[in-house]
Amino acid sequence: MTTVRIYVTYKQSVFDPQGEAITNSIHSLGHDEVKGVKVGKFFDVTIEEGDKPVAETVKEISEELLVNFNMETYSYKILEEE
Amino acid sequence: MKFAVIQFPGSNCDIDLYEALHTVCGADVAYVPSKESSLDGFDAVMLPGGFSYGDYLRAGAIARFTNIMPAIVEMAKAGKPVFGTCNGFQILTEASLLPGALKRNDSLKFVCKTVELEVVNNDTIFTSEYQKGEKINLPIAHADGSFYADLETLQKIEDNGQVVFRYSKENPNGSLNNIAGITNERGNVLGMMPHPERAVEALLGNTDGLRLFKSILDHAEVKA
Repeated sequence: MTTVRIYVTYKQSVFDPQGEAITNSIHSLGHDEVKGVKVGKFFDVTIEEGDKPVAETVKEISEELLVNFNMETYSYKILEEE
Repeated sequence: MKFAVIQFPGSNCDIDLYEALHTVCGADVAYVPSKESSLDGFDAVMLPGGFSYGDYLRAGAIARFTNIMPAIVEMAKAGKPVFGTCNGFQILTEASLLPGALKRNDSLKFVCKTVELEVVNNDTIFTSEYQKGEKINLPIAHADGSFYADLETLQKIEDNGQVVFRYSKENPNGSLNNIAGITNERGNVLGMMPHPERAVEALLGNTDGLRLFKSILDHAEVKA
């Protein structure tokens, strides 16, 4: 089994209102060194390896469901392999 | 002309749509649960507002996988009227029947109020009863209604006249180009965040939405 963490975020060009609200709150805590926050989400997906490579499964489920390419993009990393 | 009002788990404006069409316009209309797979016998399909599948993942994202969706895509391909309001609009973009996407309101707030719209294009089967440039008032009620598309797509839908409604006084959600409603390229699929079905009876204070339904019915009569 392989556990993959898939990160989904807005594309760089898309305004992220949550990120902006959080940045403002961080500034009100006095952390002026923080120059920006982008909010995203992640999915920990457990995949049983078969004929299909894990990378292909990740690509397919991301493109078909997890990501809306009109506004989002994704990346992933492998957390655990057994 | 027979209308289908699709009921997804979590739809909550299905009755409003049904009553606007049936009670107010006297149209032939039936509910179709999203687990059904056929729209045989229907001439138009209406996707209601609400929170299908709890807006899990993204608003409208899971509804795309329901049994009824292939039949809705077929109706769209056949050039029949397909209409989505609010969550219905979100579902139509997620299903790629309309371009762009609806993202979280810039204010991060759920906005529930009546807003002024401009009818930008009245040369559609949904808006022929309105005047071009006419200002109307319709209620909105959403948290994820900020229309977004990349610049190239935005230019294309503007050039094609696919923008049908624009917020004209204030932009309540951060939509690009103040977009409140768009059609597909062919013009037979309309998605909009405002709720025309909640503005169809004088007794309830507003009838500005009524002509949208009348336009669809007129179109059917002309065709017949």
